[in-house]
Amino acid sequence: MKAHKVVGLTLGALLVASGCGGGASNGQTEIRFIWWGNDDRAKVTDEAVRLFESRNANIKVSTSFQNFQNYFEKLSTEIAGGNAPDVIQMDYRYLNEYAGRNVLLDLTPYVGKEIRTADWDQGFIGSGKLKGKQVAMPLAQNSTTIVYDPKLFGAAGVKPPEIGWTWADYKEVAAKIQASTGGKVAGSTDFGGTEDVFETWLRQRGKALYTDEGKLGYAKDDLKAFWQLSKDFRDAGATTPAELVTTLNAGAEQTPMGKRLSASEHSYDSLYGGYNTVRPDELKLGPYPSDSKETLGSYRKPSQLISASARTRHKDAAVKLIDFLLNDPDAGKILGANRGLPANLKIREAVAQNLSGANKVIFEYQKSVDAKLGNAPAAPPKGDGTIYKLMQRKHEEVVFGKKTIDQALDEFWRDAEEALK
Amino acid sequence: MVLAQRRSQSVAYLFLGPWLLGAIGLTVAPMVVSLYLSFTDYDLFNEPRWVGFGNYAKLFGDDPRYLHSVGVTLRYVAWSVPLKLVLALAVALLLNSLRGKGQAFFRSAFYAPSLLGASVGLALAWRAIFDTWVDTPDHALITIVLLSAWQFGAPMVIFLAGLQQIPRDLFDAAAVDGAGWWRRLWSITLPMLSPVLFFNLVLETIHAFQAFTQAFVVSGGRGGPADSTLFYTLYLYERGFTEFRMGYASAMAWVLLVAVAVITAVLFRTSRYWVFYGDER
Repeated sequence: MKAHKVVGLTLGALLVASGCGGGASNGQTEIRFIWWGNDDRAKVTDEAVRLFESRNANIKVSTSFQNFQNYFEKLSTEIAGGNAPDVIQMDYRYLNEYAGRNVLLDLTPYVGKEIRTADWDQGFIGSGKLKGKQVAMPLAQNSTTIVYDPKLFGAAGVKPPEIGWTWADYKEVAAKIQASTGGKVAGSTDFGGTEDVFETWLRQRGKALYTDEGKLGYAKDDLKAFWQLSKDFRDAGATTPAELVTTLNAGAEQTPMGKRLSASEHSYDSLYGGYNTVRPDELKLGPYPSDSKETLGSYRKPSQLISASARTRHKDAAVKLIDFLLNDPDAGKILGANRGLPANLKIREAVAQNLSGANKVIFEYQKSVDAKLGNAPAAPPKGDGTIYKLMQRKHEEVVFGKKTIDQALDEFWRDAEEALK
Repeated sequence: MVLAQRRSQSVAYLFLGPWLLGAIGLTVAPMVVSLYLSFTDYDLFNEPRWVGFGNYAKLFGDDPRYLHSVGVTLRYVAWSVPLKLVLALAVALLLNSLRGKGQAFFRSAFYAPSLLGASVGLALAWRAIFDTWVDTPDHALITIVLLSAWQFGAPMVIFLAGLQQIPRDLFDAAAVDGAGWWRRLWSITLPMLSPVLFFNLVLETIHAFQAFTQAFVVSGGRGGPADSTLFYTLYLYERGFTEFRMGYASAMAWVLLVAVAVITAVLFRTSRYWVFYGDER
């Protein structure tokens, strides 16, 4: 009878012993930092992290990255599995999703102390705040933009994007380009399923994606008009075919623009580095078309934010890394404008002094549109991540002719309201 | 005597130990927990909240996308399982007729794709090869069916072993009676092989219901385009891990478990009419 217990205990002890083997400590702290991006971002991020390690010999940082599409799935799995990374790159759209579930460390006690903010735009710091708690720090600023191929615009004899051009202008220009390539290259990438584009378009009409109470900030007719606009582009032969719609939101190399199948694409200026890796020095950035004289709809968005896990066992090391990435001049030099304009204004200025390549294009674009940019709205409510995908899916069903706009709209509305409950 | 028996029992437990711990810790316990979670609203990070049969009611009453994913999965099972088994059987028959002449080589060669099995790299390669196909809703599911059918190695090897068990004298006797190739296939090979066929059918059906990796990779994790490859498991994953509705996902998992169990039971029921174990009459 006792044999059972003996066997059980032995096995238990073995397991415990092997489990504990991993935790050898010799004054070294090890933290994990995860983020999304592509190879060019990996290069500068790793370089900055190595510099951090060399200055903090007792802290070891392991990093890993994903493309945006898979990032949040991996992150939620890791957090749910009790294996949360210590330092987490965050997206504005997912901030409420995570902070609202209490998985992000409240950084309020560190702001202005361990995390220096003297050289910051105080309003911009607020974009990482939810209900009075600083759950993230904005890493950099970006805005929506049109990435375009000036050669194709030139060859078709049309004017490149400039402030003042309208959606009708865009449609005409895109159709001309598409015709001039014999239909081989689309004039624009289909934008109807992308919530970022919809948001910019809505703001041009004085509306917003969400109300302050976290409800949908627009009416069914608004989305209907937007999907109709996208359909007008398709009908005019001005945009990418249906099969290419599904490849949006992947890495730059997988977008129609990266594959040389489109002459212009709605995007973010902070993604220019990715485009520039795939198509070096070929592409430019221009303003969104807008039917409003006053605004482009684009705003000073925190391109990415950085948070610490609420469950990290190394708060100090995590906070130290966050401050280093945000405020260290040398880190700033290495990171450049890869994630957008640095949040720290001194670093932004320093980076602006010595611009080349992708950074230069991004800075010049931001400068050219700055007067027309708005301030960031409150971070989207919980459920926005679901709605983001929902919009893409429902639009896809319309493009493939599986649903009419009205059918897709009804289904979108039902599921979106459900997601916000 | 009794003591020796006890000792041999404890030795058995000792050897069973690692497996038993794994089975309890990694299978039984999570299953029990997921059964509990299926009756709750659970967002992964905070305490679960009891909702009774709410999740189950919503599945069948108020979630068209769920029913759509059931349809996609059934279509996938109905296409991929027969296709894979027919391929596996055909190749096994071919290899069996080789008898020594390079059989080992071809057996390994045809088995290779199955070794790569649920590999992500393979699905990525598939995605690249069928680039435009996977991006159109009407063809995307077909590409995944083909990917699965191509990995027919495991049932093929089992068929081959089964074929080699069939006594030669049955064929010799049939040949003497003037039976042709088809006749021998229909009246000897298939009946003698039916237990193996049944085994493969059950196994592949269960696998097909659980298919995940291929669809996940080929569709970029979205079940797209336009939900045309929204497998049951993919939707379950999306609900659980990207929408943080783990209670709902658990309910889905339990419905799948019960459905697969029922289908397997039905297969066993029908087996008495077509599976021939040799010792019956």
